[in-house]
Amino acid sequence: MNVWTWLKFVTLLWLLRKGLKLARWLMVVAAAVAVWPVTVVAGTGYAAAWLRGWPPVRVYRTAAWTLIMTAAWLVALEASEPGFLAAREPGRAWGVGWDQLTLAGLARTFALLAPVAIPAGLALAGLTWAWRIYALTTGLGGIRASAPITFDARQWRRQIRTAKGLTDAPGAVPLLARGGQIPIGGTIRAIGHRWHPVLTLPAAACTRHMVIVGATGSGKTNLMIRLWAGWFTAATAAARSERGDRPLLVVLDCKGGRDARRKADRTRRLLYGAGARRVAIWPDEARLCLWDLPPDDLAVLLYQMIDSGTGAAAYYADVLQAVVTLAVTAPCGPPLSTQAFLDRLNAPWLAGAWNDGRHLSEAEHARAAARHLPDIQLRYATLLRRLGPALDGPGALAEADAWYCILEGTRERSVAEAQAMALTELAAQAATSLDGEPRAMLLAADDYSAVSARVPLSNLYERGRSLGIGIQVSAQSWEGLGATEDERYRIAATADGGVFVMRTPHPEPLAALAGKRRVLETAHRIIGGAWGDGGTTREQRAWTADPDLVRRLAVGQACYIHRGAATFVHVARPKPSPLSLLPPPAPPIAPPIAPVPEPRSEPDSAPDPWPSPASLDDILGPEAPR
Amino acid sequence: MTTTPNPFRALGLPERPDLTDEQVRAAWRNIAAATHPDRPDGGDLARYTAASAAYAELRSPWARSEAYADLADQAGDGPVTAPLPPVPGEAPPVPPWQPLLALTQVPARIRSGRPLRLAIRGLIATGLALIVLQLVPGTPAAPADVLGLIIWFVLTGRKDLAPPPER
Repeated sequence: MNVWTWLKFVTLLWLLRKGLKLARWLMVVAAAVAVWPVTVVAGTGYAAAWLRGWPPVRVYRTAAWTLIMTAAWLVALEASEPGFLAAREPGRAWGVGWDQLTLAGLARTFALLAPVAIPAGLALAGLTWAWRIYALTTGLGGIRASAPITFDARQWRRQIRTAKGLTDAPGAVPLLARGGQIPIGGTIRAIGHRWHPVLTLPAAACTRHMVIVGATGSGKTNLMIRLWAGWFTAATAAARSERGDRPLLVVLDCKGGRDARRKADRTRRLLYGAGARRVAIWPDEARLCLWDLPPDDLAVLLYQMIDSGTGAAAYYADVLQAVVTLAVTAPCGPPLSTQAFLDRLNAPWLAGAWNDGRHLSEAEHARAAARHLPDIQLRYATLLRRLGPALDGPGALAEADAWYCILEGTRERSVAEAQAMALTELAAQAATSLDGEPRAMLLAADDYSAVSARVPLSNLYERGRSLGIGIQVSAQSWEGLGATEDERYRIAATADGGVFVMRTPHPEPLAALAGKRRVLETAHRIIGGAWGDGGTTREQRAWTADPDLVRRLAVGQACYIHRGAATFVHVARPKPSPLSLLPPPAPPIAPPIAPVPEPRSEPDSAPDPWPSPASLDDILGPEAPR
Repeated sequence: MTTTPNPFRALGLPERPDLTDEQVRAAWRNIAAATHPDRPDGGDLARYTAASAAYAELRSPWARSEAYADLADQAGDGPVTAPLPPVPGEAPPVPPWQPLLALTQVPARIRSGRPLRLAIRGLIATGLALIVLQLVPGTPAAPADVLGLIIWFVLTGRKDLAPPPER
């Protein structure tokens, strides 16, 4: 074989290959022209999916919905022409269409074939779009080597735009969806989770443990308020239909400051719109009573509230604990106020209280501790004065539907820590108390890291689990979740309600919770700037929740990690329905309504928590559109 | 709850959430240059302070949307903040005619949603339905096509309605 023969052979092979390829494409084009109504629908569906960043499942679902019109068409066909002869109808309409190649004729043919062409076209569009995504993500398609990256970046932008558009629609993301689901926002991208246009969580997810991590300004507050309002609405609806207990939401805003007041106000507005009867803001507008706790719990709490130190200070700590226990569990009953407690921290009172002849050892303990009592009294006087009157009653958690507790964790850390301990203890007592009405409880701690030095978050979790209350915790970063790496992992890994990660500089440990997924990676031989014919494909592992994507999330975007899968979502600003029940309009010269009434002003007879609409106006709201 | 009564007004800007960073910065710079206390004429400290506070509140797009939403709430677009009065008596059971009650709420939900978009969708669906009935009258495809258009209108239009009460 000489060179010329070899060249002819190679050229012939090349022409043969290209000819076959051309023939294949011509057949495809011929088929597309032949079934042009299906092609038109498929092209439109494909373009819509490409432009809006839809996953193929979105197109398939649309195709499934359009099968209703096919069913209606078949029924109508059967009615007009009974029997199998009706099956010839589409073919006849298609054939007649080729004789009328005018705009009106084509439109008529399309209208006649639409009940078949639309479902078929959409299904074809979904298949083609799925193939395109597969080809590009595995590296089998595309012209340039950068095609997979460009495609993914472009689709990400479009998916965000679509999710934002959906989120802006008034009825797309209400506070509560059907089936007790809490809508969060428009889905940007789902990896491993089933895709839905709006990410919804079952209300039960909020009654387990949930972690939210996001830097300042990432939209964490918005997400948390949405979750609170959604859970409250779901629990309220369940209680109204006698499928659950009345909700009690307790929010600990551990950072405090001006922002906390603003958030409290927003939360209250929203909860009133969601059907709450009373939302109390502590300590600004309402009080709680620490002294309502059972004596044993109260003694432990008061002991823990004092920073007693370790080492040589352990001796002093033991004395302190003994004195507090003696003062609180005295035979005459527990103290009813701060002043009553401080009054008990002196030798004559303790001796008198226990010296009844039946408590000899306690009386002996009181005598032994006498010389420490002035110091202990001084410490408690200082601590309780710094805590202020807000824990001195009157008030109980059960008296409101929701409590927004503001702790000044940034300004007065030690005070906020003591307050956090007291409030969690009160919440625990409210959850386990057998006296009052059982309540479905959610304890949410925003920026808990500000007060977590004395009450580790893992302890809060454990308590929540044992008491059956939902715990929701937010932090500004992975490091803010706990003091040690072990504790952080314990908190994040036990969040069985899911983990929301918003923009944060170090998302890797949280992203690792979603694990990795198998992907195909294709290596191509490069010829110039384009891909050649040769190459290999191999299986690789990629992040399910890509940390780089999480790092680049915009304000209001979050990644929800749950059960080894991730969904990126654009969180919708929580707003109650404008048609929510409103209080009766106040008379024109009425005195101004206090923002929150005193909790103790509750009437003795338990009032009905649900306002019953008196007339249609109460349901539809005022006449003028709001 | 914005700390400045109306931060948009303090900067002389329209009350819109889609203002750009540049617009807000330019408005603040103009006011700051005209009212700064270091000016030879002594400036206008009160206005300067108000503008500075407003600028701090409107610096980022997110903050602007929050401030806008707060203003909308204050203007009556949101629920009132006063607590609902307790209503004595037993909780009313969910009536069996609840679905019918939901139907009576539809006009109010349309009014409080995006009526213009809904109207446009309705016009498109009606127009196409009329075209279909004109092109293929009396054929089995006609009712099917019209049904398809109705399904499209219902599925895409429901998100333009305001949510039902307490949702």
